[in-house]
Amino acid sequence: MKRLPVITVSLLLLFGICAGVTEFHAQTAPPPAKKVSAIQVLMIQSEEVKLPAEFQVSLYENLIQQLQKQGGFEHVYRDGDHSATGDVVILHSTVRGFKKGSEMARQVTTVAGKTSIDVHCQFTDKDGTTVLEHDLNGKVRFLGGNLRATLDFAKKAATLARDNFAMKRGS
Amino acid sequence: MRVPLKKVTIRFLFLLFSPLTLPSFAQQPADAVPVVQVIGFADVRPNAKGNLKLENGNLQFSSSKAKTGVAIGSLDDVITGNDSQRVFRGTFGTLTMLAPYGGGRFLSLFRAKLDTLTIRYRDAGGGLHGAIFTMAAGKADPFKKLLVAQGARTSIPVQDDSNSAAPKPDAPKEQKP
Repeated sequence: MKRLPVITVSLLLLFGICAGVTEFHAQTAPPPAKKVSAIQVLMIQSEEVKLPAEFQVSLYENLIQQLQKQGGFEHVYRDGDHSATGDVVILHSTVRGFKKGSEMARQVTTVAGKTSIDVHCQFTDKDGTTVLEHDLNGKVRFLGGNLRATLDFAKKAATLARDNFAMKRGS
Repeated sequence: MRVPLKKVTIRFLFLLFSPLTLPSFAQQPADAVPVVQVIGFADVRPNAKGNLKLENGNLQFSSSKAKTGVAIGSLDDVITGNDSQRVFRGTFGTLTMLAPYGGGRFLSLFRAKLDTLTIRYRDAGGGLHGAIFTMAAGKADPFKKLLVAQGARTSIPVQDDSNSAAPKPDAPKEQKP
């Protein structure tokens, strides 16, 4: 019976710590993103990094294709589309790093020649307020041409957009 | 029998300038350029083989399964580049990867050069599109010149070798990795 106060105090302390941690998480976690019915994809920017034109276009087109394929949005609008109005989230993508590997080196050595693209994704609403920011990476290590890295990025970005903003779960 | 000096001079001049005239004939692009549409055109599956040609102010891509095109005036940017690809590709190329004693890896060393043509254009609603084509080496630059001559815009000016003495120092160059 002597141990009862000690156990009670320990439990209270433990409860307090847990409550504090939960409150801390609640303060730091970003607010849940607003669900929207449409997304607009802007052309990939690469001011800091010299990115070949075919990679820039491939990133953009693959991103649109993957957003349409994975579903979740009623409309996927392109950069400059006049009909992109109303309930829409805008995806700005900026290339932060690019390493063009070699398909031949990959096929011959298996371990060398990796192509990698680092992209900063920023989701904003129509007013330009940022609602989500995330860094994503696209790479090709073994099979496929260098442009396959853009498909890898596009799949990740489309999943991120669907999970955070899509009204309905896609395929 | 004496050959007149005038005839000899004319023949000599023909011979002298023949290296300059032959490449200009060789640069004349054919009506349709065989290409692979890597990505971009709607209703065309990725990596579809077909022909690219200029027809009635349109850039037309036609394959066995699809035919589509865009107005040349709507092209915002035309950029050429170059790349390489495995000579043995497709199903046969995949099977060669299973060859014993690193035979597949050895065959990967045999590569063919190719040109890339990247375009950006706007649809009727203002939406930005992009498309990438690959074609045989040496075909992209003449095709780009034709496109620009018919009204396409480009962020990298076409270098006209015939009447430019030296390239401008500030002008951006095409991508030649």
